[in-house]
Amino acid sequence: MGEFIVRRLLLMIPTLIIVSSIAFFVIQAPPGDFVSAHAARLEERGQDVDRAVLEAMRARYGLDQPIHVQYFRWVRNMLRGDLGVSFDWNAPVTAVIARRIPNSILISLVSFLYVYIVAIPIGMLSAVRQYSLADYFFTFVAFIGLGIPNFLFALVVLWLVFSATGSVMIGLFSTEYVDAAWSWSRLLDMARHIWIPALIVGTEGTAKIVRVMRANLLDELQKPYVMVARAKGLPQARVNYKYPFRIAVNPVVSTIGWTLPSLVTGEMLVSLVLGLPTLAPVFFRSLQMQDMYLAGGIVFVLTFLTLIGTLVSDILLGWIDPRIRFSSM
Amino acid sequence: MTDNGNVLTVRNLKTHFFSREGTLKAIDGVDFELKPGEVLGIAGESGCGKSVTAQSILRILPKHGRTVDGEVLLSRNGAAVDLLTLDEEGPEIRRIRGKEIAMIFQEPMTSFSPVHTIGNQIIESIRLHNRGLSKREARARAIDMLHRVGMPNPASTIDEYPFNLSGGMRQRAMIAMALSCGPRVLIADEPTTAVDVTIQAQVLELLKELQGQLGMAVIMITHDLGVIAELADRVLIMYLGKGVEFGTVEQIFHNPLHPYTRGLLASIPKLTRGREVIEPIQGTVPSPYDPLTGCPFNPRCAHRMAGVCDLEMPEVVEVEEGHRVACHLYPKDAQT
Ligand SMILES: Nc1ncnc2c1ncn2[C@@H]1O[C@H](COP(=O)(O)OP(=O)(O)OP(=O)(O)O)[C@@H](O)[C@H]1O
Ligand SMILES: [Mg+2]
Repeated sequence: MGEFIVRRLLLMIPTLIIVSSIAFFVIQAPPGDFVSAHAARLEERGQDVDRAVLEAMRARYGLDQPIHVQYFRWVRNMLRGDLGVSFDWNAPVTAVIARRIPNSILISLVSFLYVYIVAIPIGMLSAVRQYSLADYFFTFVAFIGLGIPNFLFALVVLWLVFSATGSVMIGLFSTEYVDAAWSWSRLLDMARHIWIPALIVGTEGTAKIVRVMRANLLDELQKPYVMVARAKGLPQARVNYKYPFRIAVNPVVSTIGWTLPSLVTGEMLVSLVLGLPTLAPVFFRSLQMQDMYLAGGIVFVLTFLTLIGTLVSDILLGWIDPRIRFSSM
Repeated sequence: MTDNGNVLTVRNLKTHFFSREGTLKAIDGVDFELKPGEVLGIAGESGCGKSVTAQSILRILPKHGRTVDGEVLLSRNGAAVDLLTLDEEGPEIRRIRGKEIAMIFQEPMTSFSPVHTIGNQIIESIRLHNRGLSKREARARAIDMLHRVGMPNPASTIDEYPFNLSGGMRQRAMIAMALSCGPRVLIADEPTTAVDVTIQAQVLELLKELQGQLGMAVIMITHDLGVIAELADRVLIMYLGKGVEFGTVEQIFHNPLHPYTRGLLASIPKLTRGREVIEPIQGTVPSPYDPLTGCPFNPRCAHRMAGVCDLEMPEVVEVEEGHRVACHLYPKDAQT
C-alpha cells in the first residue's frame, strides 16, 4: 500500500508537467502577448502608449526571449514552487490564487458531499424498492437532472429563489460580509449562499451516481452470497447492510475519479454565470489578457488538486475493497 | 401435530415465480419425509426445481418467488412446526435458519462475500446462534470447524479472503460454515458441481464422514445418480417441479416404477458392462410456463396412454411400503 502511494505520487510529476506544458503553449498560441493586450486596453481608454515603455516591460517580464527559453525558465521555477508573477495583478501567482481558491474548493467540496450523500441513499432505496413509486419518482428526477444544462439550471434556480424570497442570492456572501474577515457569522452567511452553486454543480453528478448505485445494488442483491447470509438466520436489514450495500458502494467510490474533474469544471462555469468570487473569473480574465503565468498556474493547481483527490479515492477504494488491495497495490 | 418420527416432512409444496411473463410453477407438488440421521437424495434434471425446493424449506426464496401451498413440518421435541406458517422475516424462522437447518450452496465461488474474510463470515454465523460466546471462543470454534473439514492451516486460512482460496478450499469453508452451529438437518445443494472432478470425490467423502460423526439428517441434492447410490438412504426423483417417485435407494435402483426414473437410471454410463452405453431420454423438457395438461412427463414418455396421460394429472400412489409414484401406469384403484 505504501509503495502504491509513492508510485502514484511519483506518477503525478510527469502528469503535472505535461498538463501545464500543454496549458503554457495553448495560452501562448494566440498572436501577441500580455504587453500587447495591456497596450490595447490602455488605447481603448484613450491613453497614449509609449513604445519604449512597452519594450521595457517585455524585457522585464522576459517576454522578449524565445518561447522555449520562457518555457524552461517557467518549468524550472515551478519545480522550486515558484509559479511566477501575474502581470495583470502585479503580484505573485501563488498569492492571487491563494486569495480566491478557498471559495472554489469550498464550492467543489460542498457539491461533492451533496453528490454522494444524496445519491448513495437514493440509489440504494431505488434498488431495494425497485419499480416502486419512489423508484419511479427518483428515476424521473435523475433523468431531468442529467438532461438539463448547468447554466440553464442555474438560471432556473435563481429565478425560483428570487420569486420565492424576493432576494437575488447571487454571490457567495451578503454585502456586509463580502470583504469582512473570516468569522463564524461569515461562514454561516456563506452556508446560506453556497447551496445554490453546489446544487447546480452537483446535480448532474448526483443523477449519474444514483444510477450507478442503483444498478450496482440491483446486481449485488441477487448474488448468491445474499441468500447465503439469509440462510444463516441474519435479519434482512443486517444482511443488506453488511453485504450488498457495502459491496455495491465500492464501484461508487471509484467514480470519484471522474466526478472530481467534472465538479471542478462545473464550479468554474457556474461561478462565471453567477459571478462568484472564485478562481473562475480570475482564470477567465487571465486568458483574455494572456496573463500566461497566472493562467498556467491556475491550470497547474487545479490539476494538482484533482490528481490528489483521485489518489485519495483510489487509496480509499483499496482500503475498502480487498480484491483491489491484493491485486494492484 | 406429531412428527411421526420424521425430523422434516414436506407435503404438497408449491412455489411459484410471478413475473411479467406470467407465473412460473417452479415447484408444483413435492412430498417427502426425512428421518433423523438419514440421507435423502433429491435428483432430477437441471431446472426441475431442486434448489427452489431447498430455498422454500428455509423460506429464503429470491424476489418474486412465493410458496403458495403445502406444509414444511420441522419436528421439535416430538411436536411439529409448519415453517410455512412462520413470518418470513420473523425471529422464529431466523433461529431455525443456520442453527437447525443449514445449507451448503451450489456455487462456492459466489456464495461468500468477496470483501469479507471467510473467518468473518463463519464467526458471524456462530455468534448469531450462540449469544453467550465471546469473539475469541467463536473464533476458536470456527478454526476447529475448519480443521474438521480438512482445511490446511486453519488458524491462518481463517483470515483469508475467498478469492485467495481454491474452489475446493472454498467449498470446505462453506461446509464448515454450514456445520458450525450443529444443525439437525443439512441441505447440500449440489455441493460438488462447481468444483474440480478430482476434488468432487474428496468433498463427498468428507460429507459422508461428517454425517457419520455428527449424525445429522442430510438432504443431498444432485443430478448425479452415482452420488445418490453411494450416499443416500432414500431418494426423491423430481421432474418439472413435481416429485414423481420416492422410495428407499433399493426400491429406486432395483425396482424403479416411473418411466422417467427408469430413463434416468438407463442414462447412467454402464461402465461395468465393459462399454459405455448412454441411453438418453427422448425429447426435451417442456417450458414450465406452458400450461401442460396431464402428466408433465407425457410428451417424452414411451408408455404414454393417449386420452389419459395427456389429460389427467396422475395421483401419488403408494405402490409398496414407503415407495410412492405419480404415474398413470399405477392407478389408484388397483391398490388396496
Ligand atoms: N430467481 C428466480 N426467478 C425466476 N425463476 C427462477 C428463479 N430461480 C429459479 N427459477 C426457476 O425455477 C425453476 C427451478 O429452478 P431450480 O434452480 O430449482 O432448478 P435446479 O433443479 O436446482 O437446477 P440445477 O440443477 O441447474 O441447479 C427453473 O425453471 C428456474 O428457471
Ligand atoms: Mg440448483
